[in-house]
Amino acid sequence: MYHLLSGFYKYLFQLDEYYVLILGLDNAGKSTYLEAAKTHFTKNYKALNPNKITSTVGLNIGVIDTDGCSLNFWDLGGQEELQSLWDKYYAESHAVIYVVDAFDRDRIEESKAVFDKMIASELLKGIPLLVLANKQDLQDSMGVREVKPIFNQNAHLIGQRDCMVMPVSALNGDGVDEGIKWLVQCVKRNNVVRPPRNQSDN
Amino acid sequence: MGGLLSYFRSLIGSREMRILILGLDGAGKTTILYRLQVGEVVTTIPTIGFNVEQVTYKNLKFQVWDLGGQTSIRPYWRCYYSNTDAIIYVVDSVDKDRIGISKQELVSMLEEEELKGAILAVLANKQDMEGAMSVAEVHQALGLDLLRNRTFQIFKTSAIKGEGLDQAMDWLSNALQSRK
Repeated sequence: MYHLLSGFYKYLFQLDEYYVLILGLDNAGKSTYLEAAKTHFTKNYKALNPNKITSTVGLNIGVIDTDGCSLNFWDLGGQEELQSLWDKYYAESHAVIYVVDAFDRDRIEESKAVFDKMIASELLKGIPLLVLANKQDLQDSMGVREVKPIFNQNAHLIGQRDCMVMPVSALNGDGVDEGIKWLVQCVKRNNVVRPPRNQSDN
Repeated sequence: MGGLLSYFRSLIGSREMRILILGLDGAGKTTILYRLQVGEVVTTIPTIGFNVEQVTYKNLKFQVWDLGGQTSIRPYWRCYYSNTDAIIYVVDSVDKDRIGISKQELVSMLEEEELKGAILAVLANKQDMEGAMSVAEVHQALGLDLLRNRTFQIFKTSAIKGEGLDQAMDWLSNALQSRK
């Protein structure tokens, strides 16, 4: 009887758990983006001062509940040395957010090369990708119109999966909502291929 | 009444954060503790038992516990776990032979229910010495990629030279403040 009731309770109230990786070169704004996302979707969340965010060597986590599911974020360090650690998380991720510093024209090719290497991984096959052209608050930043063609060059690697390039400013929060909403739709649609964590446990 | 008092205390915001410094023997825990407290290198002997000091960093008060790291006294670490806000885990980056043991201790420590909410700063210490492991090597050797539900950060430090400790304390104080 207990199991019946607890199962029923879970069925009604438990949110589907999805895991989202936040990747990109160092200084792209991954941790700042995570803070912005937490601020937008969590009531009374006291965000870190963006000036105090230092380069990540390790892992930042965050959870937001929206639209009937619970998104768990893994924000990893982007320095070259640390990129070799990314693939450890691929098998368990339901989506990838790739943050690009749209202001840094010198490193856009490097960012693209790292992106290509990432999407070539078998473990991420079919997993939705959200590419964010960050730092839109800066005047001279490249817009989506410039960034999109660069990241869509290797369409064969992207294949059938959902892939979207969006503008964002992690600093003032513009575009954060739209991106998360799009991502939620995609992970839900993709849940046959990669079911949410709590369901695959049962 | 007590709730009211603690509410006012939280307004003042001066609750001491409780930090544990853990790691194998000879990793440099005690040197780090006193580097943080008095800002200089003190001569240390292997800690049997613990050292506890109040450390003030940028107007934040921390109660820092440095527990002895020898094999025979590691089982007693768990007595100090309750109410811990953060763990500073110190690794001797030169001691490649024992990094596996260090990993085991770390893993079994982090399984403890009482430490579930604590954030983790890993200090890859002794970076002043030749042959010290890099951040990625320490990450891999400690199996940190298996940590999926905990915020952590790795820092290269040299307790002797005083390098990297400020960054670690900066990160800890920011992360702890936003978590409150």
